[in-house]
Amino acid sequence: MKTSAVEATEPRPPRRAGFAELFLLFSKIGLSSFGGGVSAWMHTALVERRRWLDETEFSSALALARIMPGVNIVNLAVLIGHRLVGFSGAVAAVAGLLVGPSLIVIAAAILYRQFAGVMILDAVLAGTAASAAGLLIGTGVKSGGRIVRRGLESNGRTAQGVGTIVILVATFALVGVLRFPTAATVLCLTPCSLALAWFAGRKTPTGRHYDGG
Amino acid sequence: MEDSRTLVALLFVFAPLSLVSIGGGPAVFAEMQHEAVVVHGWVTQRQFGDLFAISRAAPGPGALLATLIGWQAAGWLGAVVVSLAFFLPSSIVVYVAAHFWNRLRGSAWHSTVEDGFVPIAAGLVLAGAFAILQSGGTDLLGWGTAFCVAACRLWRPNFHPLIVLGLGAALFAFGRVIV
Repeated sequence: MKTSAVEATEPRPPRRAGFAELFLLFSKIGLSSFGGGVSAWMHTALVERRRWLDETEFSSALALARIMPGVNIVNLAVLIGHRLVGFSGAVAAVAGLLVGPSLIVIAAAILYRQFAGVMILDAVLAGTAASAAGLLIGTGVKSGGRIVRRGLESNGRTAQGVGTIVILVATFALVGVLRFPTAATVLCLTPCSLALAWFAGRKTPTGRHYDGG
Repeated sequence: MEDSRTLVALLFVFAPLSLVSIGGGPAVFAEMQHEAVVVHGWVTQRQFGDLFAISRAAPGPGALLATLIGWQAAGWLGAVVVSLAFFLPSSIVVYVAAHFWNRLRGSAWHSTVEDGFVPIAAGLVLAGAFAILQSGGTDLLGWGTAFCVAACRLWRPNFHPLIVLGLGAALFAFGRVIV
């Protein structure tokens, strides 16, 4: 991230983050993020409170973290840790984010092993799983719907809207319903999707910016 | 011998999944469920759903489901192997990609890449949700709960997900008990 455009903006005070500090900060973020919303916590801690990153740096990192393979917030931790401290910072941030929560989640699984079969616990877990799947549906519909709508609403880009729907539905049907291997599906559909986005982008070359999610 | 074979199998399942998880951990839940339940039998259908619930309600990323499957399959060592296999490859990719990403800033490719991955990611995440709802023999009550939660999420995005999760679980448990 050293070559970012941010260097052109006004200089900020030197950062004092070190390996241990970053590990502890990301541990705190990871452990306090019950039920998701980790990226919002990171934004509060790093941009608003400590001012180690500015808005542009954060939203650019978030955009990249979302499109690359990997868990979004783990990717975000890699990018931010690297930006602040370098390679060791990326290691510290990811380790901090994962180690504490892993131990908690395994402790919860040990308890689950003890009490599996208790009827009310089974019902609550099944209900939580169904609700969490519902949250995923909400996420998928929201992000898919936004880009489809953008394609359909702007003039001359209807083809992109329709194409986007086709790719979204094809991905879902192949992986979710027909259980095709994810890797093969992604490798086949990604070039189509990128080509579609490229040609749609050519028609309206200006005025696009990332909305920050 | 048996243990080391399981560890190698875990590595070979989760490392490739790491590299194709476009859209985050939930994007590969469908294949994870297929591999862990159907192909290798590391967890049962029910356990998969329950571990998913635990990892989603606990702090940290929901993708710690992978770590839990490793733990269930081969104990602590399994948890460590799966964590490395699932979180390391994608982290290396994004580390390298950051360099190119900043060079592309402002070019048409930047927005092309941003837009192009969205429908794939959305399709994969929906496939993951579908796989979870199918696992554990989810009945009408489960599907109903999921759709209520999804509707609530879309209608009121500012509700904290943990509250929505808790309400959905309570609704489901209540329904299960009285039916």
